[in-house]
Amino acid sequence: MQEPYQEDDSVETVVGPSVHVEGNFNSKGNIIIKGSVAGSVKTIRHLRVEEGAKVVASVEAESAEVAGAIKGNVKVKGTLELTSSAKIKGDVQAATIIIASGAALHGKCSMPAMDFSVFKEDESESVPAKNKKSFPVLKEGEEPAVV
Amino acid sequence: MYIYLYDTFLRERRYWSAVKAIENRLTDFGISGKIIRLTTLSNAYGIVDDEMRYGAQTVVILGNDETFGRVLSRAAECDVIFGYLPVDDKQTVAQMLGIPGGTEACDVLSRRRIVELDVGEVNDRYFISQLQIRPAILRAEYDGQFAVSSTGSEMAMTVCNLRPFVGETFVQRTRIHPQDGKLEAFVQPVTRGGFLRREHAIPASVFPFREMVVRGREPFTMEMDSVISKEMAVRIRLAPKRLQMIVGQGRMF
Repeated sequence: MQEPYQEDDSVETVVGPSVHVEGNFNSKGNIIIKGSVAGSVKTIRHLRVEEGAKVVASVEAESAEVAGAIKGNVKVKGTLELTSSAKIKGDVQAATIIIASGAALHGKCSMPAMDFSVFKEDESESVPAKNKKSFPVLKEGEEPAVV
Repeated sequence: MYIYLYDTFLRERRYWSAVKAIENRLTDFGISGKIIRLTTLSNAYGIVDDEMRYGAQTVVILGNDETFGRVLSRAAECDVIFGYLPVDDKQTVAQMLGIPGGTEACDVLSRRRIVELDVGEVNDRYFISQLQIRPAILRAEYDGQFAVSSTGSEMAMTVCNLRPFVGETFVQRTRIHPQDGKLEAFVQPVTRGGFLRREHAIPASVFPFREMVVRGREPFTMEMDSVISKEMAVRIRLAPKRLQMIVGQGRMF
């Protein structure tokens, strides 16, 4: 009787140094990038961009650890960790973001999974901009009007 | 009914005793059958296809890894059960399949533990174990989605199905399984330099895939289960569960 094959989660796609990948790079396993990638990178598991790696692509992953350079939007469902050598130019979206000192991030940063309802009361209490009375601006030498 | 395909080198005197011992063992088990001696010009597919018409159900290859690769590169598409009796030191594939050397291999054959294995298909030929492309300037397109090239140097490529990839500097930890529904390509850029312009390999990249097209700027050398050829472009794809093979309990997958 033949034993069924059990899928191994540890199967990884590795883009080694001196290797260039171009196109839609999709994977169902973990991805490790040490070389360069252009296009898009998508995985339903973990992504690791190592120091010295260069990614010019939109990135989607379950979780990610970045130590290299990424130019493009990064969308992570779980945790995104930027180490001190990380450089990202693009918008970042993740449930949890860890940024080490020295990491460079140039772009919008959002965490859609977080609960921001605590700020709703403050927003309702605050006076709408239309109804706000603006304070008069005094010119040089002008006296304030006495009411 | 069993058919036994004997490799040419088994005619040499030094193998006579080993072959005789195997034949006796097969007779003891009652699984002896027709013997066909291969020549360098034999077409394995034609032989197996002919014998299937006369009722052959099991084809057993007697020889070494080269015989195994040569026979199955053509005959893998035949709907028949294959067995392997290694009679040489070159038996890496036999070890992977859990088939011991000598007469003990007959025990494995008689137990008939049959598994379906994936095979790799390259330009209408097949490979079971491994395919290697020697260093050349290559471009590989995977599953029609992305392309891989080396940044300014030659690259070597190894596609594994059964035998794991062993690099020069490290053993790759990626698990190779001939039933996982994919092939694994190990791409290794090679730089030349230093004394006698020796090759220096850079750690390999790993890409699991089902179909890939490899193109070379110039003709490149390809070794497919010990069969060497020159190619300009090859389409490598997975043929899932194509091969029915008798394996031993100690197989490495």
